[in-house]
Amino acid sequence: MIEFLSKHLDWVDVNYWFHVFNDLSTIYVIIPFFIFELIRYRYLNRLTKDVIYDSITNVITIFAFTLIEYVLGILFMTKVYFWVYEHMSLPHLPLNGMTIISCILLADFAYYWDHRMMHRVGIGWATHTVHHSSEHFNMSVAYRFGPLDAIFPILFSLPIVMLGFDPILVLLSEVFVQTFQAILHTEAIGKLPKSIEYVFNTPSHHRVHHASNPQYWDKNYGGVLIIWDRMLGTFEPEEEKVIYGITEPVNSINPIKVFFHGIHRLFRDMGKVKGLKNKLLVLVKPPGWLPKDQRS
Amino acid sequence: MTHTTLFMRSVAVIVVLAGLAHLFACDTQETQAKIGTRHVPVDTTDMLVTSLNSTQAIAVDRAQEHELAPRALQSDTDYIIGKWRVTYDSEAFKGTIVYDLKKEGKVFHAYTFQYEDENGGSQKAEGTKALTIQEFDGYKGTGVYVFTYEGETYDVACQIDMVDENTFMLSYDYYGYSDMETWKRF
Repeated sequence: MIEFLSKHLDWVDVNYWFHVFNDLSTIYVIIPFFIFELIRYRYLNRLTKDVIYDSITNVITIFAFTLIEYVLGILFMTKVYFWVYEHMSLPHLPLNGMTIISCILLADFAYYWDHRMMHRVGIGWATHTVHHSSEHFNMSVAYRFGPLDAIFPILFSLPIVMLGFDPILVLLSEVFVQTFQAILHTEAIGKLPKSIEYVFNTPSHHRVHHASNPQYWDKNYGGVLIIWDRMLGTFEPEEEKVIYGITEPVNSINPIKVFFHGIHRLFRDMGKVKGLKNKLLVLVKPPGWLPKDQRS
Repeated sequence: MTHTTLFMRSVAVIVVLAGLAHLFACDTQETQAKIGTRHVPVDTTDMLVTSLNSTQAIAVDRAQEHELAPRALQSDTDYIIGKWRVTYDSEAFKGTIVYDLKKEGKVFHAYTFQYEDENGGSQKAEGTKALTIQEFDGYKGTGVYVFTYEGETYDVACQIDMVDENTFMLSYDYYGYSDMETWKRF
């Protein structure tokens, strides 16, 4: 086992397997499953115009998000990753099985904290609320992104690069976690066997995460593993029927309105509080925060 | 859960996961040292760009720019990747062609990179595929060579024989017309 995990691997092979899971899964899992979900909606008499338009909006937001990612990547992200790897990193790790497993688990752990931050910090929620604003739950929702969703993961993945992991491997691992997470956006799969539900994030756990029911708020942040939530006190099992969406619904399928509603609401909330310090605190305090003297 | 507990548990996770990776790294490096794996810089762009989704594709060019991936892309065959020059002295062409040999998937491809005439003048080539090495064990290989004769282009089976890390012989035989080229590292 030790020999297997420490065996030096060829980048071509590693890249191939990541390609099969990260990229090709869109063809062999995501799209077929989404079609299956549409058929299921039709069978259950739930295939409404709202579902279809909402799905189209989701796809449009991924294009806007990708455009922002490209600009960010070219101008900033990649340079920082490689500069950190060259100048601020522990001894560089070779490419072997253990490096890959550790990197994926660390990327998953980073995802947990990034995700938790997005929910618990005003500016994070301003962008992540886009993902949660759909009142439906299907594969297309996985691709409903906000304008700043690309920025915050950098803060959490840079420490992995500093630990000596190749930036390309870190990026591939992050995409792996995101892809795994995307597959969880479905109502068509109920609860899985207990052993799986205990260790892995599942559709059931992720439905809880997307719920607007108060007891489900800020729970189940995990990507691949749910054990992070169990360890860090944010786990909640699916019991009561889930109502999807956010407490202040967007009530729109206009992609522009959906994409920017969080930023708009953040500025609105900043406008409500008095004083520069409080306005800045709105950015870093949990969503809905108000200074003591303004709380009723 | 207190902030201290959250912090301590998170640090523990990071230490264990990163620690294990560094522990196994020592074993890998020892194994590599015993085998004597060649450490030759290679171009990662083509391999990685296909695997990264739109979110990360832009990172790939930087990998090459920062000479980062070479450490991760060592094997007994990849040392052949790079630029090679071949001098020709035929009626059709007298001069030197520089080829860019890349690994694409499991095979290697050589593309024309630059032409140099007898007088030292050079011109960037159009990047036409001239050679495909389908099998290569680090010493010998076989593939398909593309050559042009009297305006016609022919795909012929060829053989690669490494002389040393900086020279290999490319030979082919096409219905009695045989030739051998000397490829030298550029």
